[in-house]
Amino acid sequence: MMRVVSAHKTEKLAFAGLWLCAAIVILPVLGIMMVLAWRGASALSWNLIAAPQGLLAPIVGTILLVALTGLIAAPLGVAAAVYLSEYSRGGALVRLIRLAIVNLAGVPSVVYGLFGLALFVVLFGFGRSLLAGACTLALLVLPLVISTSEEALRQVPAPLRHASLALGASQWQTVCRVVLPNALPGIITGLILSIGRAAGETAPILFTAAFYSLTHPFPHSLLDPILVLPYQLFVMATEAPDVAPGTEWATAFVLLAIVLGMNLVAVILRARLRGSRRW
Amino acid sequence: MVIQLPDIPPENILRPPGEIKIETKNLDMYYGNFQALKSVTIAVPSRRITALIGPSGCGKSSFLRCLNRMNDVIAEARVDGQVLLDGRDIYSDDTDVVQLRRRVGMVFQRPNPFPMSIYDNVAYGPRLHTTARGTELNEIVERSLRAAALWNEVKDKLHQSAMELSGGQQQRLCIARVLAVEPEVVLMDEPCSALDPTATFRIEELMTELMENYTIVIVTHNMYQASRVSQYTGFFLSGELIEYNRTEQIFENPADKRTDDYVRGRFG
Repeated sequence: MMRVVSAHKTEKLAFAGLWLCAAIVILPVLGIMMVLAWRGASALSWNLIAAPQGLLAPIVGTILLVALTGLIAAPLGVAAAVYLSEYSRGGALVRLIRLAIVNLAGVPSVVYGLFGLALFVVLFGFGRSLLAGACTLALLVLPLVISTSEEALRQVPAPLRHASLALGASQWQTVCRVVLPNALPGIITGLILSIGRAAGETAPILFTAAFYSLTHPFPHSLLDPILVLPYQLFVMATEAPDVAPGTEWATAFVLLAIVLGMNLVAVILRARLRGSRRW
Repeated sequence: MVIQLPDIPPENILRPPGEIKIETKNLDMYYGNFQALKSVTIAVPSRRITALIGPSGCGKSSFLRCLNRMNDVIAEARVDGQVLLDGRDIYSDDTDVVQLRRRVGMVFQRPNPFPMSIYDNVAYGPRLHTTARGTELNEIVERSLRAAALWNEVKDKLHQSAMELSGGQQQRLCIARVLAVEPEVVLMDEPCSALDPTATFRIEELMTELMENYTIVIVTHNMYQASRVSQYTGFFLSGELIEYNRTEQIFENPADKRTDDYVRGRFG
């Protein structure tokens, strides 16, 4: 007997399968958060942050570091993306730049750490400092910032560029007045996601920015070393004696919450900015 | 064996009387190895509407884009020959392309307003090229929107997004945006192909009004449109300008058999 395959049935099956795959992606995030919260529950309190040796200094340090990283990486990355997407017309130089970007993205983060130590800490004389760490992290996120910015620029429809050029705008005016404003939501989102990644990196700041101090927790200048959450966690887990039980887990929870919070801001910002611009 | 292309009999290419605004001489254009235009020689009269017709891929749009050098944005496009605007070659080394595009505006096939307010769309060009701000800029915006027959429909919502307008309104906004730059020539690349008949009618009416002050070159797929609005018509086929004459002549008594076949709807 011939069986009739119901399109409706296969549709449902496909939907269920796809839904399951999507759900599986969410599980690790939720799982990690739950494990951290559960194991850190005993230490997770306002006191964790506000205590004299609490997490306030590392949180402030992390935020300063990430903000400075963004300030350095954004102009460089966006400028490079504008060049690649709007000005370059192929050729050997452009291929070389793209090759460099791809390779930069593949460099292990500990290598960035050593490079930052050699270049920023020693050669430039920044010392182990907020500035040296931010410069190192900026290099780390640059490939990501460039590629997300370039993607955002490419999404701006060509007819808008043509309209601007045909009205007698120069290439630069077209970039500033039409292309960049319309690519901005994507650029900002990419930037936040990139530096969100930087916030959790440990290896690059290990030799360049981070220190563990109970006496001078807050930096007074760009050239001071800082307390940062990932390094704090590293020290707690490996060296520091007599850490209250659960504190590492609670610290990890706070770090993850900051990173996820930044990602959430990126998503909301994108939705907001997208809403006001349609084409 | 080398296949020789037949030479265009010069008597099929009219030189219109009166002032000539744009003239091309032996204009060749290539996309990479593909030759899109073959030795096009044509004289476009000032303050008239010149229509360019022909089947898809015949080179009429490519030709139009040579006139304001918009082909420059296509990396592999290359142009040989001369395009004279008021007697000066726009492909010479000392041409300022930005300046050229101020003088030769363009309306595209699909309406392409910027995702900004109606006001900002029209003010885009003047803000680039002039120091007009405030009331002065308001006047330019109003004048341009009036000239594009859009003022009455949008005067109460100048600061709303242009993307909320209908297709026909968007295209008139694009025309207003071009007029605000005060060009001498307006190139229109199938400006009505994405519009409904009512909107098309309005744009055609508008073109006739604009003819008093502007030289207009329109590329169109629609032969009825060419015959309704233009005074001169050129027929392109496979990158060649086959015939160019007064519009009545082209539609009623064309000299070339291919033109005759095309305007009678036998192909294309």
